[in-house]
Parts: sequence; structure tokens; C-alpha cells
Amino acid sequence: MTLFLQTTLNGLVLGGIYSLAAVGFSLVFGVLGIVNLTHGIFVVAGAYGALVLFAELGIDPLVGIVPIGLALFAVGYVYQRTIIQWAVSRASLVASLVVTFGVAMMARNGLQLVFGPDVHTITPSYSFLSIPLGPLRIDVVRIVALGASLVLLTVLALVLARTHFGRAIRATAQQPLAAELCGLNVKNLHGLTFGLGAAMAGAAGAIIGIVQPFTAASEVAWTLNAFIVVVLGGIGSPAGALVGGLLLGLINAYTAQYVGPSLTQAAMFLVLVLMLLVRPSGLLGNAFGESR
Amino acid sequence: MNRALVLLAAIAVVLAAVLLPLWIGPFYTRVIQLFFFSAGLAVAWNLLGGFAGYWSFGHTVFIGMGAFSAAHIVTRLGPFGDGPLSMVLPILLSGLICGLFAAIIAYPILRLRGIYFAIAMLGVSQVVGELVNNLSWFQGGVGVFLQTPLPAGTAPEDFFYYLFGALLLASILIAVAVRKSRFGYALLSIREDEDTAMMLGVATERYKIMAFVLSAVLVGTLGAVYGYSVGYFTTYTVFRLDFSLNMIVFCLIGGIGTLAGPVIGTAIMLFITQVLLSRFLDIHLLITGAIVVAIILLMPGGIIGALRSWRRPAAGGGAAATETGS
Repeated sequence: MTLFLQTTLNGLVLGGIYSLAAVGFSLVFGVLGIVNLTHGIFVVAGAYGALVLFAELGIDPLVGIVPIGLALFAVGYVYQRTIIQWAVSRASLVASLVVTFGVAMMARNGLQLVFGPDVHTITPSYSFLSIPLGPLRIDVVRIVALGASLVLLTVLALVLARTHFGRAIRATAQQPLAAELCGLNVKNLHGLTFGLGAAMAGAAGAIIGIVQPFTAASEVAWTLNAFIVVVLGGIGSPAGALVGGLLLGLINAYTAQYVGPSLTQAAMFLVLVLMLLVRPSGLLGNAFGESR
Repeated sequence: MNRALVLLAAIAVVLAAVLLPLWIGPFYTRVIQLFFFSAGLAVAWNLLGGFAGYWSFGHTVFIGMGAFSAAHIVTRLGPFGDGPLSMVLPILLSGLICGLFAAIIAYPILRLRGIYFAIAMLGVSQVVGELVNNLSWFQGGVGVFLQTPLPAGTAPEDFFYYLFGALLLASILIAVAVRKSRFGYALLSIREDEDTAMMLGVATERYKIMAFVLSAVLVGTLGAVYGYSVGYFTTYTVFRLDFSLNMIVFCLIGGIGTLAGPVIGTAIMLFITQVLLSRFLDIHLLITGAIVVAIILLMPGGIIGALRSWRRPAAGGGAAATETGS
């Protein structure tokens, strides 16, 4: 029983991080309709950014979230307004999938040239502490990571629900043409949404850096995780990302504990394929209009 | 273009390909062998992805399945006699196994469209790859051997050069036959507008499944031969994400949905990465990524599309790329 509870706890903590790492992907997918295969790069770039800030300037990764988020927001905005915009207008939405894939390849190679192929970790002073919780134990970093994820997700949910900017984004997602007729600058909003998604991914990366080892090559896994989270939870909402992320974390933890640690990937993708076939609109959230 | 002229040119190319290994050294024989293999894959991917518009991001599952099927058939059921002819049965059976697997998953998975189909296929390839790697029966983790019974006095690179060349030729002929048939037109109609096609009485479900299975059989056959050509392989030698992505990139560069596109795209990409950049291995990804992005932004219809719109400027930009004449 203790083992089961401990596994559940680990799964939920992992799931919180998955949620934060996926919410930007979900937002971009829901509003712009673009599957952004560069998403994992933003996550890994956030982790590398936190590493550099921590190693060179001694800034705690949780504080580093702010400059990293701002920097990636700018990168995301410019990237959407140039390359992605061009790809969508000159070719097609599906072609934008391939363009983001090409950019991801370049960026991964670039990160490997700069930081080398080694596995990196960030170890702040609190990284080896853990708190007893009855018979269970939980690492401080994981609590911190989970807390930061939940705070950021809540902030994003509030921004989307309560502010003018959030309403504008949701209007654009529903009907770009109508939003434009109402006087919204849709192109600019698309850029801002993309920047927001990139910033959330970068923040997630900074948090992931203190919990897990990372390399440039792990970007593929983070992109795929984001996709699975979105398919599980439904697109375009922080709540969907949270549900999907927690589920993915639980699936991962249970599979590793009870089936075999080498089969987590297979289990995650099996759930993905089954989910697409059985309930393509996600557990909660909007239907994928064009999935079939 | 003149039909006889095309036929003559094709015969000349095939003859030149047959005689080529006499002049070039083993290195270039291997490069061209890789070209034959990759172009065969691209042509097979194009049957489904190009003609029907169903972009699979996980076609490497059939390479892996083909290679592992061949290895297990030979070690568990074989041997099937001596000499190169003993390869025939394992290779054909492996192709059939891939086709069978495709037929089983076809109905549910082809109900998905666009990006969802692409990612679901990626998922299928990951699941199968992980299972082959982790279930001990498949021996994917430790690797399997697949010895090639070479004919006496033949270098392995020459042998596989001709074998892959023959398979590429067969794939191209199949693609031409499909493209010129009722089946091919049905696939194009599915790509252009599946719902309208269904409404007009095209049996979209059946044609999609046929294209999927045909593509899987071709890729599986190529995968089995690839297994023979490397001799020893583990899961990650054959279940490789970059195989899946290369098929798409090669088609994209040449022109998706055209007959010659996949072959031209493969030739250009392999020439750039294997010959021009063979000394700069650490920036391969960077260059490949840059080429992919540049092609999409500058020539959305690939090289064939760009040539067409240049010849017929009135047809207008990228739109010409999606038509498929001869």
C-alpha cells in the first residue's frame, strides 16, 4: 500500500511538470492550429538558460524563470511572425509542421555544438533534501517544482479567463476572421500567443533542470510528451493540460513500478494511440474538429 | 513529353546503373546503394503520403518489422537452401508480415486524419520498437544476426547495389502503375477532398487501406533486405526516427505526390549530406534542417513543383505542385 501511495505521489509530481511543459504547446495548437515541433527546444533551451544563469551568476533556477521567460517570449514572437507565418501563408498548415521540425533539428545541433553532447543537471543547495510525509518521502526539489508549475498554470488560467488579452486570444482561437472584424490585430495576437507558449515552455525547462538530467537530444521526448498531454487532456486550456499532464505522470510512474521501467515509452504511446482512436477530443476540452 | 523518348531515357538510365559499379570504387558503390534504398523508401512512402495525402511519421516501423521478421524466419524456420536464392522466401514473407500488420491496424488508424494520423503512426512505431527492444523473444536489445549467402566471387557492396537497384526499379514501376490506374485517381481524390470523394461514390476506406498495405509491403521488403545488408542489428539500427523523417524530407524536396519527386529529392539530399558534407558530420542536422526550412519557404511544391510553375507561370506558384501529370 505504501508502495502504491509513493508511486502515486511520484506520478502526480512528475505530472505537474509535464503539465507545465505542455501548456504552451496546447495553447499554440488550440489558438493557431499549429503543431509546434520546436516546443521541446524551448523546454531544453529554458533548462540550458537556467544552467548558465546558475553556473555563471549563481541565480537560483526559480528566480531565473523570469529572465528566461522574457527571452523566450521574444524569441517565440519573432519566430512566429517570420518563419512560421511565412510557412503557413506560402505553403500550408501541414508544411508548418515540417518547418518547425527543420528548425528543431537546427536548434538541437546548435545546442549540441555550444554545450556539447553531455548530460547536464542543475544542483541548487536544496537538491538533496527530502521531507517525510507519514510513511512516504518526497524530495524538496520535486515539491518546489510541482508548486512552481501549479502557480504558473494558475496565473496563465487567470490571464486567459479574466484579462482583455486573454479574451482576445480566446476570441482569435474561436473565429480568427470574426475576431479581426471586431478590430483585433490577429497577426499580432498569434505572435503574442506563440511567445507566451514559448515562455511557459522555457519556465518549465528551468524547473525540469533542477529535477531531471537533460541533454539537447531530450527535446524530442519533451515535444512528444506535450503532444500526448494535449491528446489526453484536450487542447487549448490550462485545465486540460493539467489533467493530461497528471494522467501522463501517473501512467509513467505506474508502468515503471509495476510493469517495467523500460516500457514507460511504450505505455505512453499506447495510451496516445488508443486515446486518439477512442476519444479524440480529450478527456475534457474542445473537440479536434479536423481529426477525422 | 514524348512517350518513346521517356522510355528510351529510362532504359539508358537503367543500363548506366547496371554498368556503373565497374568504374566507381566501393565507396561510391555504397553511396549509390544507400541512394537506391532511400529512394525506394521514399517512393513507397509517397504511395500513401503523396498520393492519398496521409503523411505517416512512423514508417520506420515497417523497416524494423521487415528486418526482424527476416532474421527470425531465417534463424527459427530456416535455412531455406544455399546461395542467394535462399534469401527470396524470408524477404517475401517479411514483406507479407508487414502487409498483414498494416492491414490489421489500417481500419482504426486510417480513421484519423492529417496531423493526428501522422502522430498516431509515430506512436505505433514507438510502441512496436519498444516492445521489440524489451520483450526477450524478439531479441531486439541484444541484436540478431542475418547472414547474407553471397554468390561466389561477388563483393557484398556490388551484390546489394544490384539488389536495392532492382527493388527501387520495382517500386517505381509499381508507383507508375498505381498512378496511372483508377486506384491512383481514387487516392488523388482522397487527398484533394476526402468527404467529397466519398460522397461521389469513391470507396475511400478501401482505397486508403490498399495504399497503406501496399506501402507497408514495399517498405517491409526493403527493410528485410536492409537487415541482410547490415548483417547484425539491434532495435535502434532499424527502428529509427530519422528513417521515418528522411522519407518525408526526400519526398518534400523532390515534390510530394509526384512520380519522380521522391527519387530526385533523395538524390539531391544524399549528394549534399553524403558527398559534399561527408567531412562535417557534426553539423549534418543543422544543414539538413536548414535545407528543409528553405525548401518549404522558397519552393513549397518541391523541385518538381518549382520546375512546373516555371514552365507554366500562368498556372500560378505552388498550386501547380499538387497536380500530378507525367
